[in-house]
Amino acid sequence: MTRNKKVAAKASVLAAAAALLLSACGGAGVDANASAAPTGDAAACGSYAIAMHAWVGYTASAQVVTEVAKANGCDISQVTLEEAGVTYDAMEAGSVDVVIEDWGGGRWKEWADRGALVEVGENGNIGLIGMYVPQWMADEYPDITDSANLNKYADLFKNDESKGKGAWYEGPPGYTTIGEKLVAANKLNYTIISTGSEQALIDVFTKADADKTAALGYFYEPQNFLAKVPLARIKFPANDWTDAEKASGLTDYPESPLIKLATPKVMDANDAFTKIVKNFSWTNADQNEVAADIESGTDPAVAAQKWIDAHADVVAGWLK
Amino acid sequence: MSVRTEPSLTSAPRRIKRSWLLASLFLAWLVLARITKGKATLELPVPENTAFTTWVGDIADSIRGNRSDGAAFKYFFNPVREFIDGFVNVIRELIAIPNGNSSIPVLGWLGVLALIGFIVYSISHIRMAIAAVSLTFACGALGLWTDSMDTLAMTLAAVILSLAIGIPVGIWAGLSDRALKAVTPILDLAQILPTLVYLAPLALFFLIGPASATIATMVYSIPIAVRLTAFGIRGVATSPVEAGTSMGTTKVQLLKKVQLPMASRTIILGINQTVMAALSFVVIAALIGAPGLGKPVVEALIIRNVGEGFVAGLAVVLIAIMLDRSTSAAIQEETSFVPPSQADRKRRKFGLTIFGALTLVSIVLSRQLAWAAYFPEQIDISKLVAQSTDAFVVWVTENLQILTSGLSKVVTVGVLNPLESLLSYSPWFLTVTMITLISLILGGVRSAFVSFVLLLAIVASGLWFDTMITFTQTIVATLLTMAVGVVVGVWVGRSTRAERALRPILDAGQTLPAFVYLIPMLGFFGPSRFTAIATGIVYSIPIVVKIVGQGIREVPVNMIEAATSAGSTKWQLITKVQLPAAKKSLLLATNQGLIFVLAVVVIGGFVGAGGLGYLVILGGSKPQLQGKGLVAGFSILLLGVMIDRIAQYTVARNSAPKH
Repeated sequence: MTRNKKVAAKASVLAAAAALLLSACGGAGVDANASAAPTGDAAACGSYAIAMHAWVGYTASAQVVTEVAKANGCDISQVTLEEAGVTYDAMEAGSVDVVIEDWGGGRWKEWADRGALVEVGENGNIGLIGMYVPQWMADEYPDITDSANLNKYADLFKNDESKGKGAWYEGPPGYTTIGEKLVAANKLNYTIISTGSEQALIDVFTKADADKTAALGYFYEPQNFLAKVPLARIKFPANDWTDAEKASGLTDYPESPLIKLATPKVMDANDAFTKIVKNFSWTNADQNEVAADIESGTDPAVAAQKWIDAHADVVAGWLK
Repeated sequence: MSVRTEPSLTSAPRRIKRSWLLASLFLAWLVLARITKGKATLELPVPENTAFTTWVGDIADSIRGNRSDGAAFKYFFNPVREFIDGFVNVIRELIAIPNGNSSIPVLGWLGVLALIGFIVYSISHIRMAIAAVSLTFACGALGLWTDSMDTLAMTLAAVILSLAIGIPVGIWAGLSDRALKAVTPILDLAQILPTLVYLAPLALFFLIGPASATIATMVYSIPIAVRLTAFGIRGVATSPVEAGTSMGTTKVQLLKKVQLPMASRTIILGINQTVMAALSFVVIAALIGAPGLGKPVVEALIIRNVGEGFVAGLAVVLIAIMLDRSTSAAIQEETSFVPPSQADRKRRKFGLTIFGALTLVSIVLSRQLAWAAYFPEQIDISKLVAQSTDAFVVWVTENLQILTSGLSKVVTVGVLNPLESLLSYSPWFLTVTMITLISLILGGVRSAFVSFVLLLAIVASGLWFDTMITFTQTIVATLLTMAVGVVVGVWVGRSTRAERALRPILDAGQTLPAFVYLIPMLGFFGPSRFTAIATGIVYSIPIVVKIVGQGIREVPVNMIEAATSAGSTKWQLITKVQLPAAKKSLLLATNQGLIFVLAVVVIGGFVGAGGLGYLVILGGSKPQLQGKGLVAGFSILLLGVMIDRIAQYTVARNSAPKH
């Protein structure tokens, strides 16, 4: 009996709670106060999601685009996710609209063919991936930056993880990497160790720089970290990147212009955001400037705004 | 001397024989491995596919191409996705994300807090309500109000859907033996399967977003709801059921009036466990687009921001404590046998009315006034927490470098490398034979047969070498986990004070997402296999300690008294009486430890551990390797089932002929 009463009491409590909720829902809401806050001018611009990737250079570019778009009345949300396949899937699903910096030459083809996304063009940054050693090694062993001599120095790079060969720290899974091909094509006596994250690489290099220990690892430009810890890039024999089919014989990473991708929704909208995405372009130096601010602890939005204020003419060009 | 006559020791000769057999087998393996090292290892370079993995990749491609107009998508996957997305978003709009044209959710922070307080109060008591409100407020103070609400909303959605499926299936399995037999293997499988494995296939069918994340969570939490509901119904004593039947009640009446009410405590426990399972999924679900606290944790891993990762992980723990304690309090309330007095009931009614009115006012305020709608930014201790964490990690990294790198070196050179060369760098047929023989010695003929079949399936998958790399790390991590876990478990089992002191740490350890300490581990040990192993150890120690501690506590008192009166020292008592008597618990702990370790070692792919986990992650981000990633996930499953089966058969074999 008591149990039944208890249950009944609970039911009535829940019913009361529901009633409370419903009555509350009838209220006017905060919108009256809140609507004054965001939206600048009322220029018609839709709401879009921009992909956020893990490296700080990407954050810099995406944040600048976000701030400019917001200032022009667009409703922008940022979605953090892994690059490449995951992101293209998200674009196909409609949960992401723009990738502002993609490194992978054409890996989106399958999705583009299905009409899930459109290659918008270059974003002005030139990417250069490579294998690097700390500068002190290049000073002490001047010929180490020639890949032909890497085997001679393999012993320097040995550690517990490297199975008696030199340790070769490869880029994170999401990044464009051809380590295995490089090792095979150049006949190098190195074991590839996956690092999992960019920060793991930064750790490795920071430690190697501070303790004057050996390290050989994946890195890339533009990256503001290079200004803090000097690294020397290993020169591999040049290769021909023009033919993707030849990729199996790759001997080095090429310089590659970085690409913007967008969904058809963005391209067809023809609003302020379409213009910004189509026209956005800046230099490696620009990106490094904003990235440096973000890395030193400035809020990305503030760092981006600072650059926007200082480069009003460039920004105005994107809006044409 | 009476100790020697205890039944647990009578099997000693057989055990000695078995361990002698194992040792000689191991020796033979070492010799053979030395001769044949590096031959027929089936090593496959990371960027290369086999015909099989290419084929799987092509299937994945065609599934993706079919998404918009394939019949299965049109009539099944897409509607399911839309329904779940819609359901999740309704709850999110209630507490987490802007609702419709408004710039805030239906409820602002004050309204949410008041409602949480009111609900918790109505199912338990005022102290719990205050605690729940404080814990939720603390999430806001960590600067993570919106993410916390997203996590709460995602958890709620997943739990509601899990219970909607899990409880009916559980009732069915509780009433029918045939149903139980049918669902048990599926439940086993779902619980062995490391979460990382089914993310990619789910995303393939349900796209990246809240729906995939919710379904992934459900795969993990439904089995728990089913199991505990069935268990609860089966646990109802037969006499009330018989009494009901003899009075001519129908089956439905019997269920509604007798079985369900009597099983209600276990069913609420099931809800509690389902909630915890769903919450433990928060972080990993962020990998396929779940909103909430997982996002900052994963971001922090990617940019190795230890402090921020810890702050977000802490918020997960706070929400876990809040939900766990609230539902536990509800269980206690449900089972309290003291009927409330007239005055009590009056007071409660009064309390509910007052609280209800306050909640109503708060909700209205939170919809009208900005200060009650947006969590105050001035209250933010996240910087403080993050900086203290960073400082601590930096201190450990700098000052304990010798210790951490020494430990890593000893384990890597002393245990990991030799075992890896034994398992991975021997010819595959040698390893298959040896594991099968070990399985035979440990678990018997059926165990050996199952192992053999599964091992051959792994060979057929084409990823034999990587599977053995992962297996090696799993074994090493489990050995270390058991070494620490048994010592601490014995301590906890023998001392109530130790149990009480360690309980909160163990609880937190079980709810703190492994991703959170994967980051500092990376700082301590660098990108290496040991980082994954250390993370696996930290993750699985709590469960091992709990099971071992429980086992030690359950050793009959008379056995201990007999030994003590015979003059055994404490050491003798532990090694000759308590541990042998708790043998079943030790084996169970080993089994659980292995499964937990496997789940985390796989995540080690993020920190340079290589193996199957790395291939899974790689498959997610490199389209040309997606087939390989999916096959790698399947190989993890095969490996997990094999480990679990060997352990189960060993447990069964060791506990059957007791007494």
